[in-house]
Amino acid sequence: MTEMDELRRAMRATERADGLDIADIMRRGRRLRRRRRIGAGVAAAVATIAVAVGVDAVATRPGPPDLPAGEPVATASTGTPPPTPTAAPAPTESPLRPLGTVVDSGIRYGADARVFFMVPVDVPELPRVTIGLVAGRRAPDGHLTSDFLVNDVSGSDRRAGFHEIGYDQQRVPTDTSIPTFGYFVGPAARIVGTVDGRQVEAKLARWSEDPEVVIFWFDPETLTPGTPLDGIIARDPQGHRL
Amino acid sequence: MARGDAEFVEFARASSARLTHAAFLMTGNHHHAEDAAQTALVRTYASWSRIRNGDPYGYARSVLVNHLVDTWRRPIREYPSDDLPERRGGDMAEEVATRRWLVTALGTLTARERAVVVLRHYFDLPEAQVARELDVSVGTVKSTSSRALEKLRTAGLSAPRPQETCR
Repeated sequence: MTEMDELRRAMRATERADGLDIADIMRRGRRLRRRRRIGAGVAAAVATIAVAVGVDAVATRPGPPDLPAGEPVATASTGTPPPTPTAAPAPTESPLRPLGTVVDSGIRYGADARVFFMVPVDVPELPRVTIGLVAGRRAPDGHLTSDFLVNDVSGSDRRAGFHEIGYDQQRVPTDTSIPTFGYFVGPAARIVGTVDGRQVEAKLARWSEDPEVVIFWFDPETLTPGTPLDGIIARDPQGHRL
Repeated sequence: MARGDAEFVEFARASSARLTHAAFLMTGNHHHAEDAAQTALVRTYASWSRIRNGDPYGYARSVLVNHLVDTWRRPIREYPSDDLPERRGGDMAEEVATRRWLVTALGTLTARERAVVVLRHYFDLPEAQVARELDVSVGTVKSTSSRALEKLRTAGLSAPRPQETCR
């Protein structure tokens, strides 16, 4: 018997018949699904600068229909209860609007543009987390589609440093793969990621509502979407590490 | 309970032990393994309506592996030897010995090597599918698998054999 045969036998021989708490899994799955719907609900024809929508209004307005099959959607955390829509879906009404400018990444999917924008979020046990960053697409008519929402799951959304980073969850590249993205709070002039010993430079844009917030993303040509970073650093205009 | 929910419950009951064990093989820690398997099933359930008619097990497995790989990418990681699980019948000494050997053997491998070994030899996936799930080339899968095997050989590890029963 070869080493690999022995390993294979051992891997099977040590299987346990433990069961997980399926009711809890389904509760958490429902919360995650609602949260995705909220993130996906930022579909509206809007100008590039929008008015902030109150959190309470967000939490009680209708949710949008579910995302179409195959659309890459995920959140950075599954452990945080989302804002919960309380009414039936109403596709014609937009439950969320971008906060501040919508950042055009320059990445194109046919006629659609990859954009990033902040949205209000409401996490009951995290009063200092009020914004989340969406990776979305903007159609030529201005219609916005949300693909991915990330927000902090602890502390404050304005603490200095890096916050939750969004990765495309589809390992197989799609026509609308989501670039790795996130935001940094501080005077960052450069953001550099490391993956497999290689350094990749992020593209940056300051958020219109708070210049301390630096939205960044990695061009899919330099960092394959979904590839986890080994490390990431930010440097100030003088090149000092922040 | 909606039909989709009933289907998910059946799916989760059938797959949770195997997913948890795969996560244990990749982490060496039961608590981390259960967390990872739960996370995979939570995400699977959240997407159930669009994946239930496809390959939900493949989806859950892929989420599990990616979740663990992401965890390994974080700056601090460890491969602790785990406390041994409670025994539920059978030959305790033999399973304990096998489990200890397994943890030691897999502990000599890197995270990527463990992932390749588990996907190839526990899930029995073809190399091309392992490559897709880990977002690496088939060549990388081959070389990583070969390197893992060489490490096991070099370590001179030998799995404890099942004991013969003498009458």
